[in-house]
Formats: sequence, structure tokens, C-alpha cells
Amino acid sequence: MLELKNVTKIYNPGEITEVCVFRDFSLRVEEEEFVSIVGSNGSGKTSLLNIICGSIPVEEGSILINGKDVTHEKEHVRYRRIGRVYQNPAAGTSPGLTILENLSLADNKGKAYDLTRGINRHRRDFYREQLSALGLGLEDKLDVKLGALSGGQRQAVALLMATMTPIDFLILDEHTAALDPKTAEIIMELTDRVIREKKLTAIMVTHNLRYAVEYGTRLLMMDKGKSVLDCAGQKKKNMVVDDVLQLFNQISVECGN
Amino acid sequence: MSVLLDLAVGTLTQGLIYSLISFGIYITYKILDFPDLTVDGSFPLGAAVTAVLLTGGMDPFLTLPIALLVGAASGLCTGLIHVKIGVRDLLAGIITMTALFSINLQIAGSNLTVDRGTSTIFTAPATMALLGSLPLLYRKLIVSFVIVVLLKLIVDAYFRTKNGLLLRAVGDNETLVTSLSVDKGRMKILGLVLSNAFVSLSGALVCHEQRSFSATMGTGQMVFGLAAVIIGTTLFRKVSFVKGTTAVIIGSIVYKACIQAAISFGLPANLLKLITAVLFLVILALGTLREKGGARHA
Amino acid sequence: MKNNTLKKIVCVIVCLTLVMCLAACGSSKPSSETKIKTIGINQYGEHASLDNCRIGFLQGLEEAGLKEGVDFKVDYQNAGFDDNVNTQIAASFAANNVDLMCGIATPSAVACFAAAEDKNIPVIFTAISDPVQAKLDSGNITGTSDKLPVEAQLDLIRQLQPDAEAIGIIYTTSEANSVSTIAEYLEKAPAYGFTIEAIGVTAQSEVTQAVDTLLSKGVDLFNNLTDNNVVGVLPAILEKTNEAGIPVYGSEVEQVKLGCVASAGIDYLQLGRQTGAMAARVLKGEATCEAIPYETISEYGIYINSAALAEMNISVPADVAAKAIESSEA
Repeated sequence: MLELKNVTKIYNPGEITEVCVFRDFSLRVEEEEFVSIVGSNGSGKTSLLNIICGSIPVEEGSILINGKDVTHEKEHVRYRRIGRVYQNPAAGTSPGLTILENLSLADNKGKAYDLTRGINRHRRDFYREQLSALGLGLEDKLDVKLGALSGGQRQAVALLMATMTPIDFLILDEHTAALDPKTAEIIMELTDRVIREKKLTAIMVTHNLRYAVEYGTRLLMMDKGKSVLDCAGQKKKNMVVDDVLQLFNQISVECGN
Repeated sequence: MSVLLDLAVGTLTQGLIYSLISFGIYITYKILDFPDLTVDGSFPLGAAVTAVLLTGGMDPFLTLPIALLVGAASGLCTGLIHVKIGVRDLLAGIITMTALFSINLQIAGSNLTVDRGTSTIFTAPATMALLGSLPLLYRKLIVSFVIVVLLKLIVDAYFRTKNGLLLRAVGDNETLVTSLSVDKGRMKILGLVLSNAFVSLSGALVCHEQRSFSATMGTGQMVFGLAAVIIGTTLFRKVSFVKGTTAVIIGSIVYKACIQAAISFGLPANLLKLITAVLFLVILALGTLREKGGARHA
Repeated sequence: MKNNTLKKIVCVIVCLTLVMCLAACGSSKPSSETKIKTIGINQYGEHASLDNCRIGFLQGLEEAGLKEGVDFKVDYQNAGFDDNVNTQIAASFAANNVDLMCGIATPSAVACFAAAEDKNIPVIFTAISDPVQAKLDSGNITGTSDKLPVEAQLDLIRQLQPDAEAIGIIYTTSEANSVSTIAEYLEKAPAYGFTIEAIGVTAQSEVTQAVDTLLSKGVDLFNNLTDNNVVGVLPAILEKTNEAGIPVYGSEVEQVKLGCVASAGIDYLQLGRQTGAMAARVLKGEATCEAIPYETISEYGIYINSAALAEMNISVPADVAAKAIESSEA
């Protein structure tokens, strides 16, 4: 369970470029919830993810994970229980290492990175299985460098890596935005399957309103650091893209977009 | 013929000894993407400590691990200055390098010579027992070859460990390392520690070989190491990762061979640097041209 | 791809061998002619005093009856003040089996001596202040030391400026010659009624700042050592001191030519000649380097620059003037 309590985030405080992204913002995400977040540019979606992960500090308020205050916990410590997939497929993998090496690294998350063998041969079959489940033919490319793969393939590996070890939260940061529509569809389906199989709590930021409506158990629309729409359960299930689009256009027009 | 051989042996020895600098630069520049200027200070540091220990009568082989340790300490300084205090990479290196200049003077004065009576790793009883029948020139080559190859194998093995993989990932993608719940700052510090340990060891070997330390011997070593790394990796661009260490050893030898050729041709010393620069450029250009040509064929 | 890699490796090896062969061809000719002896001169860098050493060295050889081209050949290299190049020059001399190495300035002599170890090639050095400190005083090596005549210099200054008290000296902390000379100045100055204000610098860029510091401390005069760093920016120093009306004393004739008022200094040409004579004895087989102890130049000259002296309103006593050699460039 994740809680943001009265969070205030200001960029460049005290300077002429001061921007207040959140003021007194609160959010509660329950266990096994899959929250899709939509909103126009500058609405604070990505800032929200960064605040959850500890990539940026907050001026006021607190962040609680499973009831524990993690507001001042360092970013890399917080990632122990968080998996994150980025918009840029290059951000979640190491292009200079092979698929096998990348997966081995991810597999070791939470344990010591010591001087024992980096590649775990006994896990090779397991990785192959996982890769073949992606259906992208990557199971035969274990020794190929990540940098040689396409964006979609990389993103699939990144997703696999982010969810390899037990995590509390999966953070999806517009992770389909840089992919072509067909690949995006494949990655989105994969994501949904992984979340269901592993019973993960997930927060997904997306620009794709259809994904937001079709996937997830809860939908949040953000505007200027506030939540303007928040629906879950049956109400969410009954939603259609047009409903969201209408509201979205409304706020966008207000913004002058 | 013997002249040619002697010249080749001498140049190979120089290339091997100095290749440890390029190991260091390989880790910082190529893997961590960190322009580390500490090198110009940690190289003479290794030599200074070695010169003092040798003249103090220490066993020559024992000076090598000590040089590694002091070099590691200098890398730790740069790492801490960069990561903990938040000073920019280039500046952090400059700060340590500047401090080391004084420290080196403090350790060994402006220069310190090890007299011929003192044994070095090339004349130590252990070396003589094994290679005593060979002339010193060849002993130098064999001993440095063994040391460099041993270290190369250790580095290659390290890059295959969990920790080594992570270090490679830091240079590739810092974000990933954070996502793996590891403090990327600590990995950077580790890389600098390793790098400067190698550089300092190179200084130590030079001190054994040259029987002297001088406070100014560090000048330009970072540039040399960088050149060796770039020459090596350009020549072996398409070779898989672990061979990077071999590539930089060859880069170092090629660089030294170029200098030797320039000297042997009797080129005016004032133009030596210019000629080195041109040779350097030619190698780089050949590397990129071949790359382009290959792409067209493909 | 594997094949391609192999090709590249072979290519590199071939290139390397080619370079080495060419390099060797360029230099291996002398060794085939057995009669002519080869002298490898490793000069640390181009610098008026060091050049004079080399010129004097060759004159000394000729004076001893050896002719260049007939009795000996010279392979002259200078390292451009680069320690790496310096090492490689010495190594190439050893590989080419030269009959004698000549190291001009401490780093070059040390490099030559290290490279000569294997084949026990004799080494002759010159322009070294302290051969003992540089451990060049035993083994198959000898030469001449350019230790500055500190007492003569102090005496000269006392005669030219009877009322002066504080001498300002700038030196480079990483130059061994300077460090040992400063120690001597500090030790001997009180006997001549002087105090020494010494400032150590680590780089040439710090020299002009050091000049300002010394001027602000109110020194009566500046005195130079044979410090490459400091002498390298002598014109800039003189510009400041002339403005302040403070005379600068040099440590050898070249500095006086550049505008220092006077110097009790060694003549590097003479030093080189002395070294050449020693080398000739070794080449002729009259003595080995081991048998010849290193020499310190005993004679020194008094050099004055009348124009500079007049500008500083310093009058030269008659007995000094009698010995002095006018050395102004004009």
C-alpha cells in the first residue's frame, strides 16, 4: 500500500523560475491496485512517479510504503521494493551488456553484488523460459548485446528485469510512448499479464487514453497538480474512451493547448 | 638484426609497463565515462613510494602491492570528493592531482634515484633464480609481460563477476544501477579506486625499470593513457567486451612504438609531439574509415 | 566477424613490425661500421645553457684529437623536457649499442645510466648540480657537475651592493638542483651579512606572483638559480623588477645577456669542454668511467651587464671590473 500525505513539491523554490507542481497533494494506492494516470503535459504525472521513487525530494508532506515512512529514504534504497520501466527503452537496460548479463544483474537485485560469478548458469533455462514467454524470439539471443535489439525488444527485457525479483510496486513511466503502435500493444499486453500473474501493485503514467481505460483497476486524471478524475471498481469498468476524452479535451482547452 | 630485436624488446617493455595506465583509463574513461585527471598524480605517487621503499631496502616485490594500495587511496580521494562533496568529475580529479604533487614531493623530494646496488623486481634474487641467464633487457620484458598478463586476466575475470557486471552497467546506464537498488556513487568510487591502483602500479614498475622517481614524471600520463585506450579500442572496435584489456595493451605498445620510430628516424625532438599527434590522427581516421567502408559493404 | 577480427590483429602486428623495421633501418647503419665510435647525446631539452654544454662537449672531443665523422659519430636527441621521451631515447641508445652515452641535465643522465645498466655502456654526464644525490657518483659513469659557485656569487653581490640585506630567490620545488642550491644559500648567506627570502613555486605560472610577493617583502635584490622554470620567464621577471628598481643577479652568462645585472657563474661551454675531454679519454681507452671521478668546475667567470647596472645605479668597483666580462647582448 502506498500513501502520499499532503505532499508539496516546488521546483526552483525562491527563484524567478519557481514552479509549484503539487500543493498539499494526497493519494492512496491499495494493494494489487493497477492505477492508470493520464493528464496533459506539465500536469505533474512524471513528477508524481519521481516523488514515489525518491528521485526528487519533496518540500513538505510524507510518503508511506506499507505504513512505513520512506520520505527521507534514499532513492536506491527505495528501489529495493520498486520496479520501474521508463519511457526510454535504453533507461531500463544496459546496452553494453548481453541479455543474459542484464537478466543476471536484475536477478541479483537486493542481494550483494560480490565477486562471485556474474552469470548464473543454472538460471539460464529459467531466463530462456521467461524470454520465450514474451513471444519476441529473444530466447535464442541470450548472448546478444542489448544495444543491438530494437526498442520494443529492449522494453520487453526491461519489463522482465523490473519484475524479476519480488517487488511491492511496479512503476510504468509512459513505457509504451516511444514504441510503434504494434509493439506498444504487445508490451502493454505483456505488462498487464505480468501484473496479474505476480499480483503487483502498479502505477502507470500514459498518454494513451485507450490503454488507461482498457487496462488497470483505477483511473486517475491529473491537471495542474490535482486529481480531476479518480474512478475505480465497477465505475472504471464501465468507462469508455469517449468519456475520458471529453474531460481531457476540456482541461486541455482550459490550458489553451 | 640484434639492434632491431633489442629495440623491439625495449619498446615492448615500455608499452607493457605503461599499459597499466591505460587499464586505469579504460576503467574510468571507457567504462565509467569519467575523465579522471588523478592519473597525473597517482602515477608519480606509485613511483615515489616505490623509490623510497626500495632505497629503504624493502623486498622489491613487496613494493608492488603497496603501490597498488596507495594508488587505490588516491582514487578513493577523488571518488569521495566527487560523490560525497558533489564536486564535478574533472575538478575532483584536478584537486587530488594537485594535492598529490605536494604529497609526492613530501614523500620522495623532487627526484630520487635508486642506485644500481639496490635490487629491483628485475634483478631480485627470485627473478635471477628463474631468468638469471638472460640479459637484463629480456628479463625486463618477461617480468613486465608476466605482471601485465596476470593483471589483465584478473581484470577480465573481475568484469565477469557480479560486481564487475555492475561496474560496467554504471558507465552504460546509471539509472539502471539505481533501479537495481545499488548506490551508483559507491560503484563510481570503486571504479576510481581500481583505476588509480593500476596507474600507481604502472608508476611503480617505471620506477623499478628506470631506477628513479621525478616529481614531474606524471605530466601528460592521462593523455598518454587516453591515447592508448583510443588507439587500442579503435583498432579492435568490433571485438567483444572482455578483450578490451588486450586492446588497450596493444594501444599502449603502438603508441610507444610510434614514439620510438620517431626517435629512431632522428626526427627533430621539437616536432616529436606533432608527429605523435599526426600518427594518432591517422590511426583514428583509419579506424573510422574502415568502419564506414564496412557499413557500405553490409 | 571473427575472421575480420583476426585480420585486424594480423594487420596491427604487421604494421608494428614494419614500423620497427623501418625504425631500425634508420639507425642501425652505424653499428655495421665497426671503427667509428658512436656517442649518443641525450639532452633533456633545448635551452641555452644545455646547448652550450653540448657544443662545448663536442669541442672538448675535437681538442683531444678526435674528429667527428672519422673517430666518432654523434646521435643527438633531445627529449623536449618530456620524461617519457627521455626514457625512450636512452633505451634506443642502448638498443643501438652506442659506445658512449652523454646525458645533459639530471633526468637525461639518470635515464641513460638506467638504460646502460644491461650492456654496461659508459655514461658521461654534464650540467648536474649534485651527482651524489642523483646516485651518479659510482659505477660506469662520470662527468661534470655545474654546482653553482654560491660563495663567489654572494661575494660579488656584496661588492656591488655594500648596503643590501635581503636577497629574494624564487625556485621550483620539484627541481632537485634548485632545492639543493637553496639549502646552500641559506647556509652561507649569513656569513656575507645577507638574509634569504626564498619562495618555492610548483609551476611557471606561479613565478610572476612570487615576484610580486618578494617585492612586497622589500627585498633589496633578486638572485636567480639555474632553475629552468624560473629562468624560462626571466623577461617577465625583469619587467617587474626594473619597474620596482630592484636588480636581478643571474647564475650564468646567458641570464646576464638577457638583462640580469651580473653573475659569478659557470661558463657552460667550458663545462662542456671539460666533459668532452673526459669522454675522449674513455673513447680512446685511456681510462674507464669508473676510474675517473666526477669533476666540479673550479673556475668561474664574473659576467656583468653594464647597461643593466647603470639603470640600477650600481657602480662596479675597479677590482671587480678588472675581472669582469661584459656580457650585454647589445
